[in-house]
Amino acid sequence: MTEHPNDYIKPELMACCGAREINDKDRVIVGTGFPTMAANIAKHTHAPNAMMMQESGSYDAIPRRPALSVGDPCLNPGAAMIGGLVEIMGMFLQRGWVDVGFLSGSQVDKFGNINTTVIGNYDNPKSRLPGSGGANPIGSLVKRVLIIALHDTRRLAEKVDFITTPGYIDGPGARKKWGLEEDNGPWALITNKAVLRFDNETKEAYLATYHPGTSVDEVVKSTPWDLKVSDDVHETEPPRADEIRVLREVLDPNRMIKIYEGRGYV
Amino acid sequence: MNKVMSMKEAIETHVNDGAFLYIGGYIARPPFSAIHEIVRQKKRDLTVVRSNAADGFDMLIGAGCVKCFIATFLSLGFYGLARCYRRSIESGIPHKIELEEYSNLSLPMMLMAGALGMPFLPTKDMVGTDLLNVKSFMGDNKYKMIESPFDGSPTLLVPALRPEVGIIHVQQADENGNAQMWGIGGDCQWGANASDKVIISCERIVSRDVIGLDPSRTIVPDFKVVAVVEEPFGAHPGYTPGFYDVDFVFGSHYQQASNTVEGFEAFLDEWVFGTADRIEYIQRYIEKYGYGQFKNLEAGFGFSPPVSYEY
Repeated sequence: MTEHPNDYIKPELMACCGAREINDKDRVIVGTGFPTMAANIAKHTHAPNAMMMQESGSYDAIPRRPALSVGDPCLNPGAAMIGGLVEIMGMFLQRGWVDVGFLSGSQVDKFGNINTTVIGNYDNPKSRLPGSGGANPIGSLVKRVLIIALHDTRRLAEKVDFITTPGYIDGPGARKKWGLEEDNGPWALITNKAVLRFDNETKEAYLATYHPGTSVDEVVKSTPWDLKVSDDVHETEPPRADEIRVLREVLDPNRMIKIYEGRGYV
Repeated sequence: MNKVMSMKEAIETHVNDGAFLYIGGYIARPPFSAIHEIVRQKKRDLTVVRSNAADGFDMLIGAGCVKCFIATFLSLGFYGLARCYRRSIESGIPHKIELEEYSNLSLPMMLMAGALGMPFLPTKDMVGTDLLNVKSFMGDNKYKMIESPFDGSPTLLVPALRPEVGIIHVQQADENGNAQMWGIGGDCQWGANASDKVIISCERIVSRDVIGLDPSRTIVPDFKVVAVVEEPFGAHPGYTPGFYDVDFVFGSHYQQASNTVEGFEAFLDEWVFGTADRIEYIQRYIEKYGYGQFKNLEAGFGFSPPVSYEY
């Protein structure tokens, strides 16, 4: 019987949810924080042949400490290959070799479009955010996009203020119209309350599983669009003992993941 | 030809007000010494470009050097918010910069096109998003959408960039400018080669013979280079593989200082205007943070087995 320790924190559960979306042999482009932890949990459990890369140029790095940026010094020694943006974003990603990309956003909408550019009006923004960086090409070109977001009616939106990174844009057929692979795109939206997946027909995010401690009702109320609920909606499986062990003993012994609690991931 | 000079001379001679600059780095090897010198010499109205910009660009913007920024991203990441950048865009302090936004695929491709002498390149990203709906100083030349002449599919074309001056920091170069780099590259090789002329900042100057022992590591050839500056610790608080680590303490210090205009100006007074060059900067660093902290940044050492090019 699978053990589920009950002393986990929400960011650990979210990292495990991310890990479970990664298949063995997937090539995964990761940022720092959740993506790296999720991909590494997968690699240490069910997906030992998953391969990671960072947009800055490193492929199959063997970091000896948690990387704090995608250009971190620890991504250099031991990597299988190092190039730059043209190699990773062009030769690997644009050429179609990357299966999974992890993205987070200040705002995410029901079609999985992500805003990391501005809150408010573009010319006179309330808040200027960092911009696309690698997010737009990753969202455009990987096969499956995993999105991490806070679940409230401000961070999730019927429509984002600015589409920095395409999800399904304005719905069915839109990706194809723009020359993007129709079958690629947002795969799961992992929040601090639930895992949402995307309907094949409508391309809208729907509720697949709700995390322990919340409920279908609460998730629906925290979502600013008319959230559809899966027929077989159920509780998210809590972190398993093997996942937690990898996270705490191998990947993050100082438990830096706790900083996400301070950012609202509770 | 010996192109070795001081950073002061390199920036005085080759960076004019209004210039279009590529400034390399990606946490790895930002040419911070050159950035400080640009601020020190109060260069104005610059157009600057790089993918994934960070603290160095934030500082140039806060110091009022930048007019236009061809950008993909500007964040101080782990350290916190890029306050100078935000103040410029949100409140016009010290002035509102003009921003032309791309992504970390399209922008490196634009530099690549520049380096290869091509007028433009097709890229597969940015389509269907608001990045196509906002245009600034590049106007309609920001991009063109066409139907592919081969299969009719919608195709995005982005223009080549050819900066006047490229500035990069590398591990080593010879005195003519053959520049060798290893480790994470960002868009450094393409950005430098897209530029009409290049300023090389390096950890050490080596002989032409040493360059010849491993020529595959050369990313910029001497004929593109107009200045070679030997500037140890020149990427600090960024890192240089094989030389020193990222300085997280100092990086956070900058972010904290830049939370307010006063704090930012005091930071510049202390670390940029208050030091004449990189040597004084390092001395100031050791005085303030201690020799132990300085030595702690020093990289460990691991040999790559020597390679042979002999026949």
